[in-house]
Amino acid sequence: MVNGLPGVTALLPALLLAATGLALLLVDTVRPDARSNTSMAIVGAIGSLAALAATVWLTASGGVSPDGGAVSLFADAIKVDTLGLFFTAIFASVTALVLVAGHDYFDDHTNPAAFYSLVTFAATGMALLAVANSLAVVFVALEMVSLPSYVLVAYLKQNRGSVEAGMKYFLVGALSSAIFLFGISLVYAATGSLILADIASASIEGLTGVLGVGIVMMIGGVAFKTASVPFHFWAPEAYEGAPAPVSAFLSSASKAAGFVVAFRVFTEAFPLEMAVSANVDWMLAFAILAAVTMTLGNFAAAVQEEVKRMLAYSSIGHAGYALIGVAALTVDGPANGTVMGAAMAHLLVYGFMNTGAFLFVAMAERWGVGRTFADYAGLWRRAPVASVAMAVFMFSLAGLPPFAGFFSKYFLFQAAIDNGFVWLAGLGAINSVVSLYYYSRVVKALFLDDPASPSALDAIDVRPTALYAAVVFAAVATVLLLPGFGPVIETAEAAASALF
Amino acid sequence: MTAVASSIPPTWYLLLASAVFCIGLFGVLTRRNVLYFLMSVELMMNAANINFVAFALYYGDLTGQVFALFVIALAAAEVAIGIGIILVLYRNFGTTDVTVPAEMRW
Repeated sequence: MVNGLPGVTALLPALLLAATGLALLLVDTVRPDARSNTSMAIVGAIGSLAALAATVWLTASGGVSPDGGAVSLFADAIKVDTLGLFFTAIFASVTALVLVAGHDYFDDHTNPAAFYSLVTFAATGMALLAVANSLAVVFVALEMVSLPSYVLVAYLKQNRGSVEAGMKYFLVGALSSAIFLFGISLVYAATGSLILADIASASIEGLTGVLGVGIVMMIGGVAFKTASVPFHFWAPEAYEGAPAPVSAFLSSASKAAGFVVAFRVFTEAFPLEMAVSANVDWMLAFAILAAVTMTLGNFAAAVQEEVKRMLAYSSIGHAGYALIGVAALTVDGPANGTVMGAAMAHLLVYGFMNTGAFLFVAMAERWGVGRTFADYAGLWRRAPVASVAMAVFMFSLAGLPPFAGFFSKYFLFQAAIDNGFVWLAGLGAINSVVSLYYYSRVVKALFLDDPASPSALDAIDVRPTALYAAVVFAAVATVLLLPGFGPVIETAEAAASALF
Repeated sequence: MTAVASSIPPTWYLLLASAVFCIGLFGVLTRRNVLYFLMSVELMMNAANINFVAFALYYGDLTGQVFALFVIALAAAEVAIGIGIILVLYRNFGTTDVTVPAEMRW
């Protein structure tokens, strides 16, 4: 704990991200004609790394509350605890990687300033979402994430694919946030409060049905943000059409933001005992969604011909794995904290390996080598380091033993089995085997296949240094999470256990 | 609390809100023009506002009313973003019909 600091210090990560976004806007306002691409990227990266450092400092020092526990601010509307800080660390890391990569990706774009500030503002919303303790804050923060995301997907205004993706993302997003909001209003109607703890303790006389419908609608909102069934169909379109750094941001950070809502809101506002006794068994709903999502994502990914679209479906599959964290819960289950903690650790690992994979695609787009598996043939001859990094991401995403992705998945499935959800863990294992097929197709194309023609790789004439650095850093983080997995999973399990 | 408002049972407000929400949802599912889509989503969000305001009165608690104001502001922001996206959509495809742009398969 850190004595003598006001409680609002606990919001430092979110405040730093907001200040960074405003600083970027200020630079662009003062010098609108100067394309200060490099300085913008540097300011953005420093800001998000400072937010990451603040998060790690708050976690390591036990926060700013006198007893080392959670800090409640603004009449309990915000609660900063380890769960929130853990997710903020994911958001800040992904933001830093994406901003650095954006420097090269938007090198020849006429106005890159908006990209940096929008990503930072979306990250601010995520950091706020991670500590939201009231449904009002949850909804406002969720919109703070969504609104910049719509613009980011449609960022390439002249590119028909990007505009179409932005429109589809906006349509599904606006619809699902309206459904989510109506769900909140029904929960308010049934309980008379928006603070999570008060919702849990409210007496519901005769309005159980209203509460149940409200909870189901809120599941819809979560499903959209996490790209899970039934609101998953925007994901392949949006990720494929969006600029690749934006796809990386959405599929890693924005997805994790959806999960923090699921993890905190559902366990705190609708405790397991109440859910079972009131017959609104949201754990069962999530279990069905998890099973369908992972199966659909993995099998659809297996038949794709374009690498980016394959990654989009694979990210749907991974949403299915992470949903096990809210699905495999039982009243007084022995492993409730463990399974949710393992899902959090998986999202952290996923944040690095998936961002890295999308950034490799960003690099391929920058080179202009094409989008399909066949276009990637023999890339390692011209880009050996990046190809090795991509192989690390692919094997880690598939969950092969020496990589961090294996451990997070192993802990997740093990905890699900401990809680009596053998079928869910078994389904996850089968899906992992399927996923190995399409992930290894990328590696095979990169290393084993010959280029279509000797001149096919001549497109690789630029050296995007910052993009390279981001990819390599993500690969290093994926590998380093291997020895560092102990502290990560311990922090995550402790944070998750505090919810039960 | 006025006498008229408090004499109406809360169920009626729920019914009204659900009806408005369903009208909005129907519009979302049937309209192909993206501007109609925006209006329909607006209806759905305002249906939620009816609930918030009505039950704020019912519980004698200001939270719902204040949050309704937040929602109005957020809905306006969403429309602003939406109009921007519709504008670039029109510039690229020359239409506001959501089914026309099909660069990628669904």
